[in-house]
Order: sequence, then structure tokens, then C-alpha cells
Amino acid sequence: MTGLWVVVGTLVAGLLVGALLHRRNGRIRTTAEPAGESAELPEPVTAALAPGSAVTLVQISTTFCAPCRQTRALLSHLAERTEGLHHVDLDVTDRPHVAQELGVLRTPTTVAYTSEGREILRVGGVPKGPDLLAALGPHLVPEVERGSH
Amino acid sequence: MAAGPAVDPRGPRFAAAVTTVVLAVVLVTGWWPLLAAQTVVFAIGAFIGLRPAPYSVLYRALVAPRLAPTSEREDAAPLRFAQTVGFVFALVGTLGYAGGVTALGVVATAFALFAAFLNAAFNFCLGCEVYLLARRFTPRTEHTS
Repeated sequence: MTGLWVVVGTLVAGLLVGALLHRRNGRIRTTAEPAGESAELPEPVTAALAPGSAVTLVQISTTFCAPCRQTRALLSHLAERTEGLHHVDLDVTDRPHVAQELGVLRTPTTVAYTSEGREILRVGGVPKGPDLLAALGPHLVPEVERGSH
Repeated sequence: MAAGPAVDPRGPRFAAAVTTVVLAVVLVTGWWPLLAAQTVVFAIGAFIGLRPAPYSVLYRALVAPRLAPTSEREDAAPLRFAQTVGFVFALVGTLGYAGGVTALGVVATAFALFAAFLNAAFNFCLGCEVYLLARRFTPRTEHTS
């Protein structure tokens, strides 16, 4: 009899968690301005930032992640047809400390950085293209020519 | 070891549904030999390959011929990792039931049921997405796959 209740409880918990995850998938979280000194970014991330692009999307993936593949296809397509947007897929299967330093717990997580390495926003799960573009909009506007030095 | 070729994504989904039913029956009846059998099923998928895994064989024999073929493919590596996670929980559950520590058997089986159900109902692979979380607690294990 206990077993039956365990089954019912587990399935109800599964439904709740499943619905929650489904709702949160692709949700965009804007990163607040860092209060003090911004933490140093892990080396693979700084290496991935494209100086020529206004925004770089750093996708954190692992080999064991099915939606990462889908995310990679979506984001690389988005970057191809968007001016000033660059996409990098960072596989952290064998270097989980990178994800740890970024505070990333699930994959895929996509972090958007400015060319100076300031974090703009994060998306957990498979992003929704139009929403992501809208959120990045202000950062993608071509910057006014800066005086060359 | 190579994970093997990509697969029809409906196969693993079907397998997750069968797994959900099997684990629910185990919990209701407490009949641990069935859980032992499920442990073997997980082990085949995890350590031998997805193709010879019993539920995949069942899918290809009974379900696939009735469905329109799909060109959609899913990577095998995440699926095999998920089977490994399932294997660990099912093994702990079997040992719990068989060794008289029923509470351990029930809890481990419930976790496996939870993950299989999320996979079947929402196409959400819990083990895959929290791989990083798992790694956080086992920082120095070498992974070669």
C-alpha cells in the first residue's frame, strides 16, 4: 500500500517539476550591474569573446546534453544573420570548473557578454530566438565610431 | 568508447515510458526481481549500446513499423549517460529490497521513477541536464567516453 502512495507522490512531483521546467525553459534573466569589482572570467570564456562583435553568446554545453545540440543550431543560425552577434559553444564536460566559476548548474546555459566581457544576460535551456534578440537589442545597436588611438 | 550512432528520438522516449511503468509496478508490488531485471536493461543500454537494449529492440519490432519514419536524430552520448544514472539507482534499489533495507529500495526506485517519468512525459533528461551539478560533488573523477 505504501508503494502505491510513493508512486502517486512521485508522479505528482514529476508533473510539478516538469511543468515548472517547461515554463522556465528559455527564460531570459538580465544580469544586474555588478556592485563592486566584477569577478574575473574563466580563461576559456575570455578567449571566446569576439572583440569585433558587440555581443558574444557563450553557450555552456556538455557531451551528455541533448538540448545543447538544438541550442547550438539555433544560436549559430541567429549569429550568422545578426550583425554584431557572435556565438561560441563551450563544451565543459572535461572542465566543469569553468561552469562552476560561472555559477552554471545545468546545460545548456547561454551567457551573453559585451566585447569588454561584461555579462548582459543568461538563458537556461533552449533559448527562444526572437525573445533573445529583443533582449539583446540595445546592445546590438552599432556603437558610435570611437576615436581611434 | 564511442557512444554509437545517433538514434530516432522516439525510441528513447518509448523506452522511458516502459521504464516508468516497470518502476511503478516495482514500487506497488515490492517485487524486487523485476527491479533486478530493469537494472540489467539499464546496464545493457549504458555499457553495451542502445541498439541491443531490450526496450529499443521492442520499439523497432513493435512501434517503429507503425510510425512514419523520421529523419530526426538524437545523439547517443546523453542517452547512454542517462541509462548509466538509471542503472546506479536501480542497482541501489535492488540491493535495498533484496537486502531487507526496504526503505532504501523504495527511495532509490522512486528517484529512478521520477527521472524516467520526466523523460517520458516532458522529454526532459534529468541526468543530462544536471550532469554539471553531479560533477560538482565528484570533482576529481576522470571521464573517458
